Amino acid sequence: MAVAPGDSRGPIGARRLAFVAIAVQFGLITLLVQHWKLENLTFARLLQLAFIGFIVHHLLPLRFRLPFFALFSLASIFIVSVPWLGVLAGKVPLLDLLGRLVPGAALVGIGLVLIGVCHLPIPFAARILVLAAIGGSLAVLRANAQWVPALSDIWIILGSMFVFRIMVYLYDLKHRTAPFGFWRSVAYFFMVPNVCFPLFPLVDYKTFNATYYNEDWSRIYQTGVHWMYRGIFHLLLYRLVYQLAPLDVANLSSNLDVAGFMVGTYLLYLRVSGQFHLIVGLLHMFGFNLPETHHLYLLASSFTDFWRRINIYWKDFIMKLFFYPSFFALRKRGPLKAMALATLVTFFLTWLLHSWQWFWIRGSFLFTWQDISFWAILAGLVLVNALYEATTPRKRTLAASRVGLGARALTGLQTLGTFLAICALWTLWSAQSAEELQALTDALTAPSTRDLAILVGGMLTIVVSGMIWGRSGRDSSEGGATKAARAPFNFWRSVATVSVGTACLLALPALSVHGGRHVEHLVATLRGEQLNVRDMAQQRRGYYEELDEAQVNHRRWRNTAAPKGWHDGRAAILRERSDFLMSENAPSVSTILSGAPATTNPLGMRDRLYDPDKPPGTYRLVLLGASHELGTGVKDDETFENLVEDRLNRENRSATPAKYEILNLSVAASSLFQKQQRLEQVGFELKPDAVLFCIYAVDREFVVGHLAKAFRAGVEIPPGYREFLTDIARRAGIHGSLPKLVIQRRLQPFMPELIEWVFHRFKTECEARGVRPILIYRPTPTDNLDLESTGRRELLGPAAAIGLTVIDLSPAFEGIEDRRSIYLAEWDEHTNARGHRLLADTLYPQLAPLLGVGTSGIEAGAQ
Amino acid sequence: MSEQEIKSAVSHFILNEFLPGEDPSALTDTTALVSTGILDSIALLKVVTFLESHFGITLEAHETGVDHLNTIADIVRLVRSKLA
Repeated sequence: MAVAPGDSRGPIGARRLAFVAIAVQFGLITLLVQHWKLENLTFARLLQLAFIGFIVHHLLPLRFRLPFFALFSLASIFIVSVPWLGVLAGKVPLLDLLGRLVPGAALVGIGLVLIGVCHLPIPFAARILVLAAIGGSLAVLRANAQWVPALSDIWIILGSMFVFRIMVYLYDLKHRTAPFGFWRSVAYFFMVPNVCFPLFPLVDYKTFNATYYNEDWSRIYQTGVHWMYRGIFHLLLYRLVYQLAPLDVANLSSNLDVAGFMVGTYLLYLRVSGQFHLIVGLLHMFGFNLPETHHLYLLASSFTDFWRRINIYWKDFIMKLFFYPSFFALRKRGPLKAMALATLVTFFLTWLLHSWQWFWIRGSFLFTWQDISFWAILAGLVLVNALYEATTPRKRTLAASRVGLGARALTGLQTLGTFLAICALWTLWSAQSAEELQALTDALTAPSTRDLAILVGGMLTIVVSGMIWGRSGRDSSEGGATKAARAPFNFWRSVATVSVGTACLLALPALSVHGGRHVEHLVATLRGEQLNVRDMAQQRRGYYEELDEAQVNHRRWRNTAAPKGWHDGRAAILRERSDFLMSENAPSVSTILSGAPATTNPLGMRDRLYDPDKPPGTYRLVLLGASHELGTGVKDDETFENLVEDRLNRENRSATPAKYEILNLSVAASSLFQKQQRLEQVGFELKPDAVLFCIYAVDREFVVGHLAKAFRAGVEIPPGYREFLTDIARRAGIHGSLPKLVIQRRLQPFMPELIEWVFHRFKTECEARGVRPILIYRPTPTDNLDLESTGRRELLGPAAAIGLTVIDLSPAFEGIEDRRSIYLAEWDEHTNARGHRLLADTLYPQLAPLLGVGTSGIEAGAQ
Repeated sequence: MSEQEIKSAVSHFILNEFLPGEDPSALTDTTALVSTGILDSIALLKVVTFLESHFGITLEAHETGVDHLNTIADIVRLVRSKLA
């Protein structure tokens, strides 16, 4: 019989070599998590400590290891909440340090009380009552987190640690199916790295204990690093899908896009499976030989199979605590009926418990039609499938038998059917509104040959994958915790796979520079937590239209939600209009706009005081822009237009004009049409000599958003615009009763026409009044190369064709390594004061020569 | 009821119900049934129903799992403990 590398019967040299190999891989994975900025910074820090903890833990005698793990888990709660480097350097005042320790101490204290109650020497039912009372009180505090601000950070983690695990714990305690003890309990509830992950695999208490060093350590540890590596792979795939899949329903234009949207939506789940692999892999490093949390779930070949493969721990929990007890309680009604009813009970409780979990994460329950529909449909599908399996037994064999091509082909087709059905179901579940589903179906068109070829190719890939891997996985998705279920294990092959894989991933960013600008940029994008195009769009929509729930959820998951009140200033400044302009700035407002004091002047400009009548000897420019030009999040004198105005006046050596003025007519989220209309309604009244009309890569989104809103509201389209826009609406098949997303989607193909029309009107209206028209292309602070290059090309092409003067500010943000350094905050990608200075520094040298500053030949018009 | 009688009845049921056509001698006392996927959760419910009706015993929900039903030997042990 072969001896495992870590087996105590083997030579000591081989054991040491095995341990060194495992430690090296763990070290590489730690570096990888940091290098690719996976999940959060806290986890990266914790993983570094876990690496040291792993070595210490392994060197300890076996009897000390569990207490060590329990203490390390408790310590992790304080490690992540305190800046220890600052403390050690004496930079954190004592009171501040104590304040930071309070939430962790409260979490541990509450947890220990809950564990203690489970063991009170009172009847079991009484213990449950006491726990229910405590749980109810904690839930009230959770729902009103503002009552105890000092504890507001602990609720999500407390919920993640105790809400479900205590049910499992009590169940096993009642049936005495596992050993109990202080260190076991502490280790189970507070297990590292739970403090970093609100979504944590629901580890079974019995399995947690039964698998502790139940095999040779080398196999357990090597499985751990292998699963962590697999988790990293899932997380990188998730980022790839998140960045590249067509997930913005307003931009879908073909069947291929629709398929990409649906598959992409399902594949976003890779984040959860990646996290779970990472977490359970880490637990292996401390001796917990836990089973897989997910098993090739994308290749499930039936709905029951899907249920068995995805989030296996949850399935085991629900089966153990609810399905089997329900079946046993109902079995007198007959096995089939009992099974059917138990299945329905199980899914009902799954839905309810998900909502309960949501409550602990969000502070409110999840009761949406999408969620209810998803669980109801899935319950129905699994029930029908289970009844079929119960009445039509599948072929089983004792020995591993050869599976014929016909059977494999059938599995492949079943895999495809299940995959497509789950994609559809997942799309329903993830839909933010019925409108989104309507826009999705609206995007379906007669497929082109190319689309068909790609779709068929994709489906064939799934069928073949199902034929190769689907069948074997299905048969081992249950009972995977036992040795008998495990596949043969080749230690050194696993070491080679993980080592080479991690080394390649570590080297990839450096190698990507040789793959061209787009490859380099893609890798750089995957290395960060940058929002994709859809979420950036949602953020803008949210900022301007009201933060929608989904967006809040998304950012909360990412721990980057804006603090309360961040957007209040916007409501104070921005006010609605009932005409085509739709919005304007309120005059004479003083507020805090995204963290910075902001005022509007009596003319409704976020700007200094100006006389409506242009003073003699003044060269006046008006600026038309949106929230960046408005100066969201920077002080009044920090906006790039004020910086340029000051510099023009500072460096002007001429007597005529004696002064330059830039009047800021920017209003948040203004589309091209709104800016042009504002110029005609307000701007020209101010007698400008030149107009600075700002354009940006996201103009497409603003234009379709504005026009959709205007069409739906039925506002009167101004003369001059009416004929053109009515014709566009007719050709696009748009009418006011269509959902907004459908209108936006149908307007997309007309963007070139819309842009060209506005630019043309801008030029002719200015020239008719002797005003100089200047377009300013302002880059977005986010480093989204595709969005920026596409949007820029779409705008600058027509501008050049029409003969408009364009000042391109693109170089302003080029070369900034970390674009977050020019964001206002993690949750707000408007540019900060530094960004405004960079914009001003880029604008001035291009604008000044146009105005003749520094020369004697001042442009005419300064009267 | 003797251990041999219990074993015979259980083996016979499993072979007939789930493994038709298999060589009876291939199903040993220690053949893993649950952890290898031969018996899935739905099949386990059938085994439970059979054990209760055939032996006149009552099983508990927490006894439905790999610990008690993974092999013929496990099942025999469970039935004997219930009959004792």
